Amino acid sequence: MGGLTTRWSRIASLGAVVALVAGACGGSSATSAPPASTAPSTGASTAPSAAASTAPSASAAASGPKSGGTVYLLTQAQQFDQVDPQRAYTGEDMAFFQATIYRSLEAYTISPDNTKASQLTPDLATDLGTPSNGAKTWTFTLRDGVTFQDGSPITCADVKYGTSRTFATDVISGGPTYAIQYLDIPSNKDGSSQYPGPYKATAAQQALFDKAVTCSADNKTITFNLNQPVADFNYTVTLGFSPVPKAADTGESYGVAKPPVASGPYEVQSYQTGNGGKMILVRNPNWSQASDPYRHPYPDQWEVDFGLDPQVMDQRMIQSTGNDQTALMYGGIMPQDLATVFVDPNTAQPQYAGRVVNGYDPYARYIWINVQKITNQKIREAMAVALDRASYRKIAGGEFVGDLADGVIKPNLGMDYAPTNMWTTMFGQAIPDGGDPAFAKQLISQSGAAAPTLTFNYADTPTYGKIAAAVQASLQAAGFTVNLAPIPPGNYYSTVFDPKKAGDFGIGGWGADWPNASTVIPPLFTVKGGWDLSQANDPTFNTAVAAANAETDRPTQAKDWQALNTEAMQKVWAIPTLFGKASLIMGSGLATGTGANGGLYIWGPYGSNPYGDVYVK
Amino acid sequence: MTSPARAVEPPLLSVKNLSVAFPTEDGLVQAVDDVSFSVEKGKTLAIVGESGSGKSVTAQAIMGLIDRKAARMTGEIWLDGQELIGLPADEMQALRGSQVAMIFQDPMSSLHPFYRVGAQITEAIFAHRSVGAKAARAEALEMLQRVGIPAAERRIDDYPHQLSGGMRQRVMIAMALINKPALLIADEPTTALDVTVQAQILGLIGSLQSEFQITVIMITHDLGIVADVADDVAVMYGGRIVEVAPTSVLYHQPEMPYTLGLLSSVPRMDRDVSMRLEPIPGNPPSPIRLPPGCVFAPRCKYVDRVPGGACASARPELLHAAPDHLVRCHLPSEERQQIAQDLLRVLAGGAA
Amino acid sequence: MVAYTIRRLLLMVALLFALTAAVFFLFNMLPGDPARLTCGKACSPSVIEANRHRLGYDQPILTQYGQFLGGIFFGRTFSSDSPQPIVCNAPCLGYSYSRHQQVLTMILNAAPVTFWLAVGAFVVWISISILLGIFAALNHGRWPDRLVMGISLVGYSLPSFFIGLLLIFFVILKFNWLPFPAYVSPFVNPVGFLKTMILPWIVLAFLNTAFYMRLTRNQVLETFHEDYVRTARAKGLPERTIVVKHALRAGLTPLVTAAGMDLAALLGGAVITESIFSLPGLGSLAVNSVLQSDLPLITGITLFSSTLIIFANLVVDLLYAFLDPRVTIA
Repeated sequence: MGGLTTRWSRIASLGAVVALVAGACGGSSATSAPPASTAPSTGASTAPSAAASTAPSASAAASGPKSGGTVYLLTQAQQFDQVDPQRAYTGEDMAFFQATIYRSLEAYTISPDNTKASQLTPDLATDLGTPSNGAKTWTFTLRDGVTFQDGSPITCADVKYGTSRTFATDVISGGPTYAIQYLDIPSNKDGSSQYPGPYKATAAQQALFDKAVTCSADNKTITFNLNQPVADFNYTVTLGFSPVPKAADTGESYGVAKPPVASGPYEVQSYQTGNGGKMILVRNPNWSQASDPYRHPYPDQWEVDFGLDPQVMDQRMIQSTGNDQTALMYGGIMPQDLATVFVDPNTAQPQYAGRVVNGYDPYARYIWINVQKITNQKIREAMAVALDRASYRKIAGGEFVGDLADGVIKPNLGMDYAPTNMWTTMFGQAIPDGGDPAFAKQLISQSGAAAPTLTFNYADTPTYGKIAAAVQASLQAAGFTVNLAPIPPGNYYSTVFDPKKAGDFGIGGWGADWPNASTVIPPLFTVKGGWDLSQANDPTFNTAVAAANAETDRPTQAKDWQALNTEAMQKVWAIPTLFGKASLIMGSGLATGTGANGGLYIWGPYGSNPYGDVYVK
Repeated sequence: MTSPARAVEPPLLSVKNLSVAFPTEDGLVQAVDDVSFSVEKGKTLAIVGESGSGKSVTAQAIMGLIDRKAARMTGEIWLDGQELIGLPADEMQALRGSQVAMIFQDPMSSLHPFYRVGAQITEAIFAHRSVGAKAARAEALEMLQRVGIPAAERRIDDYPHQLSGGMRQRVMIAMALINKPALLIADEPTTALDVTVQAQILGLIGSLQSEFQITVIMITHDLGIVADVADDVAVMYGGRIVEVAPTSVLYHQPEMPYTLGLLSSVPRMDRDVSMRLEPIPGNPPSPIRLPPGCVFAPRCKYVDRVPGGACASARPELLHAAPDHLVRCHLPSEERQQIAQDLLRVLAGGAA
Repeated sequence: MVAYTIRRLLLMVALLFALTAAVFFLFNMLPGDPARLTCGKACSPSVIEANRHRLGYDQPILTQYGQFLGGIFFGRTFSSDSPQPIVCNAPCLGYSYSRHQQVLTMILNAAPVTFWLAVGAFVVWISISILLGIFAALNHGRWPDRLVMGISLVGYSLPSFFIGLLLIFFVILKFNWLPFPAYVSPFVNPVGFLKTMILPWIVLAFLNTAFYMRLTRNQVLETFHEDYVRTARAKGLPERTIVVKHALRAGLTPLVTAAGMDLAALLGGAVITESIFSLPGLGSLAVNSVLQSDLPLITGITLFSSTLIIFANLVVDLLYAFLDPRVTIA
């Protein structure tokens, strides 16, 4: 579960975030999201009217959303990590592609409201899917009239083929692997699937997959047979289950050597990577609004500009002249430019009102503690208590980059979040943001052991260097000795995941794949989860996680996650630091269809720009 | 032409009250201080002195090589009836290399390393005369042969670094004489050369001088080489001329104590080899703060023989000791002569 | 001279072999697992191993090196399990899985950009700094000299990204005198090319201009005191001839070495300038290859850039021997 690609290295190097975890998160910060399966289709039949109705008082958007124009997307990246629909796994990329070129069975609702946005809307499917067999079988029926860009119909076979590609892990690498995890296909002894993907499967191996995923006779209904009950499998199908026509598949180079086959309202006209490179999307002539009530593609064209300098980008966005008037920026505003556009995180400077927004990004940031090395819980408690979280946040960029965190489940996960009281009552007394070295010393003496010498891992960037120094100073004030072990940014995660090379504690981050802590607690704190930087492997905890995963009553499941989040914090497998926030900006010539007064908002499901909702004024 | 013929032809070069000073951040550098002398056509004047004595600056002043913007220059320099100090830059440039030419101490650094020697010589021709390329080359070749370059027809296309030190100086001489100048200034022409080559070069200058009827100013710190080539010798110290005399007079009847010092430090074949060279104790004066009286006074052994401490306070004038012998010294003439004769006797080995 | 050149070229080939080997081994010693980098945040060990095999990282390093060299001479095929395997013809410098492109293709796309950037900046900085340097030297100690030296000092102390941002802010964003740079080939759109390159040239030339202005001035001043310049003056040559033919010829020749090597270094990529102006040159390609731990790309660019520099070294040496007769090559 979860997806992180080579993007680690790039953004980690910026020193802004190291937790470049792709994924979706939804739910507002305070209110609970209703269970996904109960969410009705919003099914707006014509986009403009639907959007206009949500912003009746908008002065900027008084004329309402309209079609036309070109929207530019400025990015520092040299390219999209992956264009292949089975391989794309960076939140922002997925948000962009799903709004423009790729359709999936289900999609997240377009809304500035996190609760609403975290609910599914049928996309290629006619409804939100039908579970049966105790949620071990899921069935989706395709809409009529859905086509690829060449006009050929999108069939069950195309969705099935797209899904099968995920199993070719040697070629289709880097993408989400939920299909492998959940589809009812036997495993080899080493845990890999017996189905090696469509490229080199024998007839017998292909039969295994054909049994797990079946199509109806009319090729319009797809059935997934799962190896376990998955109550929220309709969320899962937003990740890597897009259709790909078999005839067009070129494997490793799919989507790059030639444009990928589009199913959404736009198609790729050209794609050049690197500095000065562009991806140009034009309208897909074979897309029809009738077959896609979910999207309202306002711009006539999209142009993604790669390889821009972040400082230059900020200035271009702030000045907003020429083509930049209709530009969006991939990634946040740099810390030094925040004061230009914001009064405080909740208030824009007047001339930038509606153009900038500060809100939760998908990531929770934390310091993992290797419990195989630091086995004494009191020592870990002392580390948490001693940590100067206030300095950490200040160095990272202050209140614009995040709220102080109390766990790894973030408030934007909706009902799964509950305060853990980690810093108020959990350790018996309130812990100030700046840390409490005296109390930490007490905890060390209670541990019955001497304060150990600790090695701290972090990506070697200027910002993290300063953060590491603050971590070192605050823990040393409590009597620890801390050795700093910086790691080149491009190698950070591959190093800390190597038990032989990892230190005692270090910087980490994680974003949920969809608005359910099933994509947070298991990956972070179970061995099979894939992101277990803490090396936690507690049998009781593992059992409780399995039970929560199988819980089909969503509110009950939420309570389970809340409890597990609190338990992990009590055992101090990680010290939560920040609930990350991003500061986005859009050009003065753009507006959103559903934002307040047509203003910019962070689209909750991917913590991204609202690509599906912007239009040229 | 009706006026009476003059008994004596005017000197080719006449320097009158020449002073050259360079303003610097540390103060005014008085490089040449009220220097006057003259050289008759075809004669050789040697200007002798230590480094910093002002001899090279005097030569450069005659050549017009002193940067007018960087220096204060007063006095007169008359060359063949023409005053040079007041001459406009372009006219001076026309004289340089044609009327007055110069060769330098280090022929290696004085020749341009990037150009063939023939080209460097013909460049001097083209600077002053309209001559075709072929004729200029032929002329250069002939001059190279005349200065004794063997296989000159091959050497003419050599670069300076391909020649020996003596050959390079011969090239320099060829280049200086190519336009048949009236005056040749040779600034330490042999200092950088091997001893065996020194004599050849001096001999070459001497023979060319008579062949081309050139007047020569030989600038040197070495009184030893002067004897064979110079008609007259001017000794400079601290920017001033301290003694001028015909060569034989200077050698046999020197009067200025500084000249005596120079003479006693010259190794000579006719002297007792057991006699050690006697360098002048002390250092030359700083050109920024010249002593108020006699510039040589701080190093002079005989200052206490002058009553009233005049050496330290009063500037001695350059006065006639004989009609062709000028001396700048406070000591009475007889006493000077006595000191000199005693010393010369000692040097000659006849101790007392 | 021909024998010398051949010998140098042979040495160059040997050096390049050693260099690629060094890059291979160095990368192998870096912390981190290149195979781990290829798959997502929940990478099962079997997927990592599959990728390791696919990328050839499971082979001994010497075998990998052998495959790389084999690719240069005979070509290679990558991702043979894919429906469309990637055929990389000789000379094959490798295939970048993170960019889905052949390394040689990327380098050949980036090289012209860097070439024009470097050569243009070179022309700007050499012409400006030599003119102003000589001007300063001729007016040594007076106000033009002080002005030029002052400019040089300011130029020295301004980092190029600052100048770049300043120019972008005013010239492009505030006053809209130029469009935002978008590289086009000079053969396709000469005007667009000039509009794009003029600011990068200025930025890239800035620091070098400051340096070379000072160097030129000092070199020329030094030669003014050379004996052969005095000789030239004593010959009665006109001042212009003395300055141009005697002083400058000798004073500027040593600049050839410095300028040649600086140009070669720039031809390997100008990271900051390329980044600020989003020029798709070798510098940004190199930086990104390192950030992405893209071994094939790192190796390819290292090989390309070092070939350039070694080659430039040879050219500079030959040129110097041509310009200064004292230097003999054998």
